[in-house]
Amino acid sequence: MTLDPALADALWPYFVVLFAGFLPSEIWRWSAVFLSRGFTDQDEVIIWVRCVSGALLTSVVAKLLISPSGALTAVPLSLRIGALVAGVAASLLLKRSTMVAILAGEAVLLTGAWLLR
Amino acid sequence: MAILQAETSADAQSVGFWAWRGVKDAFGVPSLVLGASMIAVGGLAHDVGYPLGATVLSTIFIWAAPAQVILFGLIAAGASVPVLAVAVGFSSVRFLPMCMTILPLLRRPGTRTFTLLAASHYVAVTNWVEGMRRLPPLPPDARLPYFFGFANMVMLSATIATGIGFFLVAHLPSLFGAGLLFVSPVYFTAALARAARGRADVYAMLLGFALTPLAINVLSSGFDLVCVGLLGGTIAYFAGRGHRQRSAREEALRTNPTDAEDIAP
Repeated sequence: MTLDPALADALWPYFVVLFAGFLPSEIWRWSAVFLSRGFTDQDEVIIWVRCVSGALLTSVVAKLLISPSGALTAVPLSLRIGALVAGVAASLLLKRSTMVAILAGEAVLLTGAWLLR
Repeated sequence: MAILQAETSADAQSVGFWAWRGVKDAFGVPSLVLGASMIAVGGLAHDVGYPLGATVLSTIFIWAAPAQVILFGLIAAGASVPVLAVAVGFSSVRFLPMCMTILPLLRRPGTRTFTLLAASHYVAVTNWVEGMRRLPPLPPDARLPYFFGFANMVMLSATIATGIGFFLVAHLPSLFGAGLLFVSPVYFTAALARAARGRADVYAMLLGFALTPLAINVLSSGFDLVCVGLLGGTIAYFAGRGHRQRSAREEALRTNPTDAEDIAP
């Protein structure tokens, strides 16, 4: 069976999304369905895995701050860190609201970036 | 919905009630936050010359903004499919611990494996961090319909945002672009802090931040985050467990001084 080259070219991006995007991500999620069998959220192993997830996610955030992509690269590192600290501090002071964190963080980031322009 | 109605012991009306409550709770900050990140992802796909259909489907099927950024970034660099798959696979390792902690909250006796596989697909940072906070107080039978409602609402707005970003991002002023990209880091940090249930969670966050600059310089990309997660998470777990045991012993000492020796590990 041969595919029309024009059609093959058109389908290629979908093939890439499926085999290089969907499957390598989904394999971890599906493995967890079988690995988590028989555990409750109070089990020590799951508490440990929860700590690993927490450290891993903050690490993702730290990496986004240290080596960002796109337009955020134009903002200096100290301002990126300062804005994050300001946002989280504001949220902790005001009922732990995530909306407050976003508004305060963005206010610091955008004001700082505008002043430094 | 058919899956849910067939197997939750709650009646169909209450399944609908909890699913709709999930939709309503997701409509707001969680949807807006992920939408902001997906505008950037859509713009990136547009920049590397990807078609709109495959870009939008990548949000639905991959359901991981960092994996999409890696995918489109490496496509632009001309990487082959196996290289792309390995890079995405490494960045998505985090779904294993994330799913392992949220699935025990969703699973009920008799929940079908297919339902859990479907639920696991929706696990990404936003749904995980919101789910870890919102699911435990809910009645166990309400959690699955709530999660499906919440997660589908977040996915709908993320998908729309991907399409918007595809057309819009070239026309945005750069200050606005920087603001969009900053939404997720600040939201994730605040949401994690809000979902923290004990000292171990707080230690895990602090170690995650502290160890990352070190790991980025020492380890190759792909391994760095996983190593920070394993090392920081394990230290946080033992520190938290030590604290839990000390509190348990003090509590026992207060309530029944003579038996306190038995509790000591």
